[in-house]
Amino acid sequence: MEMLIKVLHNYYYMAAILLFIIGMHTMLTHSNLIKKVIAMNIMDTSVFLLFVAVGYTYGGQAPIVQEGKEVLYINPLPSSLMLTGIVVAISITAYALSLIVKIYRYYGTVDYDEICLIRSQE
Amino acid sequence: MGLEQHFPALIIAILFSIAFLSPILYRWARKASAPALLVSLSLALVMAISLLIQVHQGGEIYYHMGGWEPPYGVEFKVDYFRAYMLLVVLAVSLWIMVYALKDLQHELKIGMLGWYYSLYALLVGSMAGIAMTNDLFNLFVLMEICAISACAIISIKEDRACLEASFKYLILSAMGTGCFLLGVAMLYMVTGQFNYDLVNQALPVAVEQYPNNMFAASALFIVAFGTKAALFPLHVWLPDAHASAPSPSSAMLSGIVIKIYAFALFIMFYQLFPRPLLDSIPLNEIVLWLATAGIMFGSIFAMVQVDIKKMLAYSSIGQIGYVFLGIGLDDTIALTGGFYHLLVHALMKSMLFMAAGVIIYSTGVRQIKQLAGVGQVLPVTMIAFTIGAASMIGIPGTGGLISKWYLALGALEIGRPFFVVIILASSLLNAVYYMPIVVNAFMYQEKFEHVAKPVPRQMLIPLLFGVAAIIFFGVVPGPTLDLLEYAIGLLF
Amino acid sequence: MPFIQLYGIYIVLHGHLSPGGGFSGGAIFGASLVLLAVSFNLEVGARQISEDVSSILESGGALGFVLTGLVSVAVGGHFLANRAAGFPMGEAGELFSSGAIMIITVFLGFKVASTIVSFFFHIIEGED
Repeated sequence: MEMLIKVLHNYYYMAAILLFIIGMHTMLTHSNLIKKVIAMNIMDTSVFLLFVAVGYTYGGQAPIVQEGKEVLYINPLPSSLMLTGIVVAISITAYALSLIVKIYRYYGTVDYDEICLIRSQE
Repeated sequence: MGLEQHFPALIIAILFSIAFLSPILYRWARKASAPALLVSLSLALVMAISLLIQVHQGGEIYYHMGGWEPPYGVEFKVDYFRAYMLLVVLAVSLWIMVYALKDLQHELKIGMLGWYYSLYALLVGSMAGIAMTNDLFNLFVLMEICAISACAIISIKEDRACLEASFKYLILSAMGTGCFLLGVAMLYMVTGQFNYDLVNQALPVAVEQYPNNMFAASALFIVAFGTKAALFPLHVWLPDAHASAPSPSSAMLSGIVIKIYAFALFIMFYQLFPRPLLDSIPLNEIVLWLATAGIMFGSIFAMVQVDIKKMLAYSSIGQIGYVFLGIGLDDTIALTGGFYHLLVHALMKSMLFMAAGVIIYSTGVRQIKQLAGVGQVLPVTMIAFTIGAASMIGIPGTGGLISKWYLALGALEIGRPFFVVIILASSLLNAVYYMPIVVNAFMYQEKFEHVAKPVPRQMLIPLLFGVAAIIFFGVVPGPTLDLLEYAIGLLF
Repeated sequence: MPFIQLYGIYIVLHGHLSPGGGFSGGAIFGASLVLLAVSFNLEVGARQISEDVSSILESGGALGFVLTGLVSVAVGGHFLANRAAGFPMGEAGELFSSGAIMIITVFLGFKVASTIVSFFFHIIEGED
């Protein structure tokens, strides 16, 4: 019972881990190449969600200075680091998608099992 | 004093600048792009040597980016061990680049050379950064740069096999990075720091309240670095990727890129996690058994290959197992052996891949059975191949023996002679698949069938240099071993 | 079209004051050029920004970043130092405050925009 209360209290973290597992499982088992790229994005996004959720303080505001008032801010460090992380994930996605375009031109399919079949017959 | 204290940042800055400058140079001043890359690599090497001298005179160097102290800023640290790694990376990449300048015109389409230089410089710059960084998030960003540029130098030769192999490498590498970032998140949740030293100080307090985070983080780190460094069950991307890449890329990947992740795992275990915590979880056992499996399976799979580059790639899986065996045995002498093997294998495997590249350039032959008698037309190359093979097996006089000797000594010292048996058995298996090539190349009775193009001298000189280096490191291992033992002893 | 570009430039320049910065502003600017190419002909889009210019901007943006860091080394501070290297700092909250960050953000905006544009044109034109 206590465990259940703890889990429900930290639902951001649970959601992030769940998304991570979904992303990793899809990336490894589904055979369509584009699904793998999307799953990789889901996996990376879930980790960013985890980081940003770690930086949250209860009752905090966005970390932009407001004149004159004494306001509790959330921790700005994880959010700003994740900006860099998002760009990194985008660049990997862009590179993977351009590879898929080239693979499609050479093999005629974006299904990984079919590609392996074609490779094994060469 | 002056410019010398900025060398850690300048190495990376120069390499990245030449990476950004290369496309422009290639477009408007084609003749200048290759010498510019060579000049910048040599400058970086000179700076790394100077850093080693500075560390020797003054102790460890901490460099803060932008002048901000940690925990606000990113910190670079150079001590003996990292300086060693930096030297290995920069020296080997300069050596491979000399070979690559001639070979690439044969393998790539003509417009792609500028991009190849750019990717190469990015790869070397990011690996130099991984060797020097002292901050977890900086490590993540540099690991991503390394992963993308490593995949790109495989897929830049656009034929069917290398595109699929590069995609597989990219997906598995991205999985590794995702796991790594989750591990960093686990550590950040309980300690609130990114700097290695600050995490090291904050972990014992944090583990009292939240022990599970450290277990999860260490498991995720093993998975992440194991995927990228081809530890046993996570090695499936390596044969295709290294076999279908252009030869300089294969040499670079097999020689250095997988090693830098083993180095990063070592830094994680020994500088990030405090020592009592490391003893309480059997992390070393896990790495030890996975490494043993890798050594055995790498050699066994290599025996049944018909393509020479695929055989060398499977052999790489076995050899990186030696480095992980050193980490797993958790003893000063074994670690010295493991990391000496890092240096020697970088030299050996790069030279073997370069020799294979010369053979493919000159005769177009990739199957091992058709290589019989190639010693008649390419004597220098096959001598280099023989020395490399001898070093892989561990024949005295070459560098391979020293590392295996130290690993065996370390295994005996902690009282586990089973691993000595493993090392000997794998040496025997190495002989089984290297010796036939060497023997067939020289002792073939009939004439060699395929036509051999003449090989430019620029491609042979790196091979000779490699032979000299391997014999040097086999006969005079003293200074390097002393350096390594001292460096590792500092961490215990 | 010019509204989107103006919005992108605004986000880039106010990178240190409000959410945004180099990445998102550059992405918006690049997306505006891609939008032009998608909605009209490809030639119209290619005329807006030729390949030479985009390649120079791409490398120039990244080089500008490194050069800014090197400037601070030349002056005597650490790499990429800000106040210690003598960049002009203004009042917090004004437009031209926090010296080096704005210069870096502008270069970054150039690089991201040109990357997005050249990526798009490479992939589209490579399909023949």
